[in-house]
Amino acid sequence: MNGWNGRLLRIDLNRHTVSTEDIDPQMAKDFIGGRGWAIRYLYDEMDPRTDSLDAENKLIFCTGPLTGTPAPTGNRYMVITKSPLTGAISCSNSGGTFPTEMKRTGFDMFIFEGKSERPVYLWVEDDRAEIRPADHLWGADTHQTVETILTETDPKARVACIGPAGERLARIAAIMNDKHRAAARSGVGAVMGAKNLKAVVVRGTQEVSLANEEEMRELCQTVQAEVGRDVKKGSALREYGTAYVPEVTNELGILPTRNFQTGQFEGVESITGQALKDKYLIRPKPCFRCPIACGRLTRVDDEGYEGEGEGPEYETIAALGSACGVDNLAAITKANYLCNELGLDTISMGATISCAMELYEKGILTDKDSGMALRFGDADAVIEMVRRTGAREGFGNLLAEGSYRMAERFGHPEYAITAKKQEFPGYDPRGSKGMGLLYATSNIGASHMAGDVAYSEVFGVPEKLDPLTTTGKPALVKRFEDAFAVIDAAGLCVFLSVRYLFDPSVELWPTRLTQIMNLATGAGYTEETLLEAGERIYNLERMFLLKAGLTKKDDTLPARMLTEPLPEGPGKGHVADLEEMLPEFYRLRGWDEDGIPTADTLKALRIDLLNPLDGDCDD
Amino acid sequence: MAQTWIHAPPAYEVSCVKVTIKLLNVYRKYLPDDAQGSAYTLRVARGTRFSELLAQIPVPMDERPVVLVNGSTPAAHQILVDGDVVAVFPSIAGG
Repeated sequence: MNGWNGRLLRIDLNRHTVSTEDIDPQMAKDFIGGRGWAIRYLYDEMDPRTDSLDAENKLIFCTGPLTGTPAPTGNRYMVITKSPLTGAISCSNSGGTFPTEMKRTGFDMFIFEGKSERPVYLWVEDDRAEIRPADHLWGADTHQTVETILTETDPKARVACIGPAGERLARIAAIMNDKHRAAARSGVGAVMGAKNLKAVVVRGTQEVSLANEEEMRELCQTVQAEVGRDVKKGSALREYGTAYVPEVTNELGILPTRNFQTGQFEGVESITGQALKDKYLIRPKPCFRCPIACGRLTRVDDEGYEGEGEGPEYETIAALGSACGVDNLAAITKANYLCNELGLDTISMGATISCAMELYEKGILTDKDSGMALRFGDADAVIEMVRRTGAREGFGNLLAEGSYRMAERFGHPEYAITAKKQEFPGYDPRGSKGMGLLYATSNIGASHMAGDVAYSEVFGVPEKLDPLTTTGKPALVKRFEDAFAVIDAAGLCVFLSVRYLFDPSVELWPTRLTQIMNLATGAGYTEETLLEAGERIYNLERMFLLKAGLTKKDDTLPARMLTEPLPEGPGKGHVADLEEMLPEFYRLRGWDEDGIPTADTLKALRIDLLNPLDGDCDD
Repeated sequence: MAQTWIHAPPAYEVSCVKVTIKLLNVYRKYLPDDAQGSAYTLRVARGTRFSELLAQIPVPMDERPVVLVNGSTPAAHQILVDGDVVAVFPSIAGG
């Protein structure tokens, strides 16, 4: 095959054996790759009602057809499994260098099954795969793990691993690759830990074969140059990283502040991209073959917060910063480094601590429960709670369960600002209503990465929409969700669309993307069939959720979002207005009033014969 | 006796409107020297409309920045009033 390698590696962790399988070309095309292939296999091979930490849950690493090719930003991979945090699907995405190295082994996908009796890691060197003992690595943080593994495999190998948080089954544990990059959300690290799988190590030397190499390189170079030129003009992402965002969301009154009690933070000037650049930035860092370079290589020398690494990203600054009332950028950056070393999702970690802070300030939580005072604005408390969560020590043991389960333990789950028990990212949906619909309908729980309509509501890409209205938002959210499904499955970074997503004058989406896909794979996509594939992926994920037991009751937002208006800022007086958007969204999706895809919808997408919901399909 | 005006005459003061201009992230480089943080005060004639204000903002408009007044996108003909906060940032996705 071209673009795709066309092979997967199946790892039986019970027996410590590996086997290879070929990929069916029709399935490959229909589901694109990455996120699409993974849901197809999971839906076929496992019962969605399986407990996520059970050996029967399957863990899939998957690249896309454009991973490791000349396509600009063609360097992403995904981790798909049933989530310990949400009970829905996890689709965590990461960049760095690991994805391209994995693609170059000659395998597109790794499927991990069962559970190893002892800690192990997988070592794949081109077409040779081996399961090796990892007892000596168990307990090591992610950086130590990488350093040790490189001495026993190949110094040029790339490593994806869990830290102590994943080993201890923290529901907010991440899988870190290349030390500082994260497949972070939805507790994928805990699934890896439950399988006693410490790391996945790859070394690949096989270049990806392309259907039409010359034309592909030419088109990709053109797009690469255009994105690069464009980034140079208004280079917020290169100059500041995603840390350029706090100023913007604060201006719109949607920057999460003190557990979403409000959307404007008085300390915002201390946590801007400018502040990061002035104080801690060494230089921008691109992922492999990316023209944008949004990554931040940073270092903090402030006493008590010393450290070095990558980040923080916007989401981290919001969750571990403004959401916790903290304006100390050195502390936020240190907390970010700790999360990376321990293997924790910075969004869920920060949001869970901010939830605990609200419970503490309201007297629902006391010193006896938390072990120390947890007040908004206390930067050292944030850092201490991150440490304790990684070790599951004291109150950290509860924080490791995520904000919903933690708050529920104290009788007040309504203070956990989540959708499907996953913590919100950095956009208050009362002031960005499309985002509210996205959080409620994303198949992975609250996430901006499921279809970031903030591009339009907040950033003006391709044009600035009014974030305070609901009109047209159902169609907008559907469009973004389907587009992001395609981009995820293809192995590209969504930042490729820095300015261009849906801008017809640039023709990136879907025209040039379709061309790039065809030049790489030779699969003969049309723009329609490519878009349809995105819709197919999203709907099959939905079917998985429904079979796992989720219902339309889970397509909702916390009471604070639905009934407590924003107290200040441009969105003052507004609530999330979800009920105005959800019925139309269901209709546009071709679902019934209960949010179940109709038989006609499934048939049109050709996923009707796949284990339908028993007795629930429309006839 | 001729009067010497030491400040601008009151009539002139009353016919001006003071707005705050905030130039965010990469547009900071266009801030005037007396800016406070990322903001400075601009006095414009009473009755100035939003579309006319754009010409007075030192950011290249061909880059299609996002320009908000008090956090939302104004109509071109919107008249500026005392205390309006105008924020300018690049339209670039990611975060």
